[in-house]
Amino acid sequence: MNRIEIDFQSCEGCRRCVKACFVNVLSWDREACRPVVAHVEDCVHCNLCELSCPSGSIEVMPDFASLDWTAF
Amino acid sequence: MADLESLGEVARTDVLVIGGGIAGLSAAISVKEKNPRLEVLVVEKATAGWAGKAARGGGILAFLTPDDSPEDFVRYHVEHIGCYLEDQELLMEYACTCNQVLELLDSWGARIARDRRGYWKYVKTPGAEVPWGLAGVDLDMCVHLRRRASELGCRFMDKTAIVELLKSGDRVTGAIGFDVRDGSCRLVLARATILATGSQNYRVMPMWSCGRGDGIAAAYRAGACMRNAEFGSFVNMIHVASREVIFGAEDHMFNARGEDISSRYRPGIQPDICAMSAVGWYLEHVEGRAPVRVKAEENVLQIGSEVLFSTDLVWKRPAAIAFWSRLWEKARRAERESDHGMPEIMPGFIGEQSPVMVDHGMATTVPGLFAVGDVSYSGSAWTGAVPSPPGRIRGSGLMNAVWSACRGAASAVEYISGEGPGAGADASLAAESKERIYRPLGRERGVSALEMVRRVQQAVTPVRYSNWKREDRMREALGMVLEAKEVLSSLKGEDPHDLARCNEARSMVLCAEMFYRASLLRKESRGWFLREDYPDTDNSNWLKWIILQDREGEMALWTEDIPLERYPYRPPPGRSATTLAWR
Ligand SMILES: Cc1cc2nc3c(=O)[nH]c(=O)nc-3n(C[C@H](O)[C@H](O)[C@H](O)COP(=O)(O)OP(=O)(O)OC[C@H]3O[C@@H](n4cnc5c(N)ncnc54)[C@H](O)[C@@H]3O)c2cc1C
Repeated sequence: MNRIEIDFQSCEGCRRCVKACFVNVLSWDREACRPVVAHVEDCVHCNLCELSCPSGSIEVMPDFASLDWTAF
Repeated sequence: MADLESLGEVARTDVLVIGGGIAGLSAAISVKEKNPRLEVLVVEKATAGWAGKAARGGGILAFLTPDDSPEDFVRYHVEHIGCYLEDQELLMEYACTCNQVLELLDSWGARIARDRRGYWKYVKTPGAEVPWGLAGVDLDMCVHLRRRASELGCRFMDKTAIVELLKSGDRVTGAIGFDVRDGSCRLVLARATILATGSQNYRVMPMWSCGRGDGIAAAYRAGACMRNAEFGSFVNMIHVASREVIFGAEDHMFNARGEDISSRYRPGIQPDICAMSAVGWYLEHVEGRAPVRVKAEENVLQIGSEVLFSTDLVWKRPAAIAFWSRLWEKARRAERESDHGMPEIMPGFIGEQSPVMVDHGMATTVPGLFAVGDVSYSGSAWTGAVPSPPGRIRGSGLMNAVWSACRGAASAVEYISGEGPGAGADASLAAESKERIYRPLGRERGVSALEMVRRVQQAVTPVRYSNWKREDRMREALGMVLEAKEVLSSLKGEDPHDLARCNEARSMVLCAEMFYRASLLRKESRGWFLREDYPDTDNSNWLKWIILQDREGEMALWTEDIPLERYPYRPPPGRSATTLAWR
């Protein structure tokens, strides 16, 4: 499974990463005003959360080995 | 009888757009540009502007350059791409008007690269003589489109998954779904509904993940006809280690003996990938000449390990370059150094079924429902014997999305002016839908959505089932799909997000069933559609579209003759050899 790490020290709480995710992996914690990695099992490492983060606080680590479907 | 308000929050609008990818946003803008007084609401499962495939694609726009004529485009298309299965009248309309898409995107704020004279900066498909050119738009196009739509007064409802269409009599009058965050039920009543939920994929290839067939399935259950469902087995050739696409790999494939197999299975340089690439790969394995590798240095779409369109050598597109560089940088880490010269490849199954049948104005067969973009790419039939974008024309997906959205918007506006006020919706049907939608949430035991998805994937990803088709193998695959269908009633969802996955899994099962039932009916090979047991193109019996529809719970299939007598281009009668002739 892919991993997503968020550095909450540097995260500015701008919410761009949540908007950027097209498969709803990230959700928003209204009280803490911070993103939550809620459904990492659905992450397809498009990296748009990472690219949209102004403070470089989120990192997607793809697990290529878990892509194990067969063409046979 | 339940009233709608008792079921959940009810929103009212003139035009409901379901799906906020490029097609949905274009439709929303276009409705407003045609009639600013109409209210438009866009409902999107993720966040419109960032959702959808356009933000994660190549950003290539295939258009007719000053050197290309619509007649040449149509002739080439009919002979080499859609193989006479096109609606040639709509294809000609597409050829004559598709260039407006570039002007529109530009006026809506999307950034299309220009040359020094101020014209669209374009290239011709490297190596292939084709009557179109490729322009490049930056990948943040939908963010600009959302901004434009907001300026025009469109409203947005994000993070909402639509599951069913609402009806009043035989008309579609809105939709029902839920908030994927808190699970609350949402209903929208609309005078016209535009479906823009993309094509059907199977969550196999990462970047094609948002299209999961929900819209196709909802339209099917609402009684809409489907067409060309058998063209739902799109693949790309991918790096075995990272499973990322190697664009152009299909033209430079070598087997374990060092033989050039592209020239055997795919003679000449072609405009885009074809099903034979996957079939060739499969046969090399079956016949003991695996692995199949690609000679990177010969790949005309790459410079070293860089893909041409993702460098700024062709177009300066900051968002696209950032996106693709990051993706490939990570993929390269998974790929072994030694592989870079001749990486091993395999077919990456995608799907791209896009069968919602529409007329020339993008109206479905159900009044009040229009379908635009990828969801009706094959169903519109201008595209012929290919799965949805790119079909066989790299750069036709975005063009079709905007082009069809504008047509669908015009039809929806006209429909509203003829229909008068909204008709409401049948509340008891809506109540039944709601009960069905939420059922998986209450289940303590059962099958998870992800398990169901895996079962469907096993029935579609093998080349021998979905691309190298044969009666017995397709029956086996259909059997697997029907077994999955049997256990749909035990789908279990943990939370609202998982509930959305349950609906996606259910939609995938339906789409796979449509794909195999339609494929079993077509007894020939044509374009993307290849059958080992019927290797010839059969122009005497199969110049037909396969249509399917729900008839009281049964999937009814029939054929419709293509009105070739009205069209300029006709194939030679009888049977003709396909690319399978070498066998
Ligand atoms: C890797 C890749 C490269 C590509 N490269 C190119 C290219 O270079 N040129 C080109 O022309 N085309 C390209 N394409 C194809 C092109 O991106 C698509 O044809 C186009 O984006 C389709 O737009 P759409 O709006 O019809 O569908 P989508 O982009 O699939 O949008 C559908 C939207 O509907 C939403 N949705 C789905 N179900 C529901 C539901 N139940 N409720 C609410 N919302 C829902 C989805 O979240 C999504 O946002 C590429 C595609 C990929 C994946």
